[in-house]
Amino acid sequence: MNTNKNEKFSATTEMDNGTCTVFLQGELDLSVAPEFRQIMEPLVENSEQDLVLNLKHLKYIDSTGIGILLSILKVRHGMNAQFYVREVPAQIQKLFDMTGIAKFFASQENSQ
Amino acid sequence: MKEEVQQVQLNLPATADYVDIVRLNLYGIASKMGFSYEDIEDMKVAVSEACNNSVLYAYNHEDGMVEVTFGIHPEELVITVKDNGESFDSYKGDEAATLHDKELGEAQIGGLGFYLMQALMDEVSVINEAGKGTKVVLTRKLTRSEERV
Repeated sequence: MNTNKNEKFSATTEMDNGTCTVFLQGELDLSVAPEFRQIMEPLVENSEQDLVLNLKHLKYIDSTGIGILLSILKVRHGMNAQFYVREVPAQIQKLFDMTGIAKFFASQENSQ
Repeated sequence: MKEEVQQVQLNLPATADYVDIVRLNLYGIASKMGFSYEDIEDMKVAVSEACNNSVLYAYNHEDGMVEVTFGIHPEELVITVKDNGESFDSYKGDEAATLHDKELGEAQIGGLGFYLMQALMDEVSVINEAGKGTKVVLTRKLTRSEERV
């Protein structure tokens, strides 16, 4: 069980053919929320590119992190730009379903 | 039946940087008690939300401490998160809320943390006394191992 150093938060960005994919790692919580917002801000505002968050290696998210995803959804929706989440781990999908944010991601997927 | 309770207590600065220490300790204690991986993940979220509230609202950006007590009962884990700050009324103001019946435009994040605590624990109580801080008590019952899948 990994409860250790590898849970430190990091984000890696890949640009490919009009799509920007951000791979998240570790724990996205209150302590790294400012860092995450800062990384995402310029990417979110670029309406030319589709924006994808890959959550495969995200170990944990709290309501602060979910709040940031919600604000990204709002901005992207307002710009008529795409925003997806991919490879969502079961435990995190459970939180998306419980809080109700899942349906906003779903409707974005459908419009693809 | 006499109930034996053992306690583990943590005193931490009320800053965001120490919430992961609470999660690490929770992981150790809950796995020792025999909770399943999924139960522990649920409790991690609930306890972190309680700590976040103390970090964000208790001390109004001044230094303060959060006291986390793990009450280890034979049948349950009782986690108390306590601060001595100004009692914030964020718990009263935004009742547990989800985004289920909302459009994206009107969706707000306030109340989600409290909702998650309630949804993920068996019992949640919030004791909020003016000037004496806030105490959140989270209880999760231990499912017997033979009942576990």
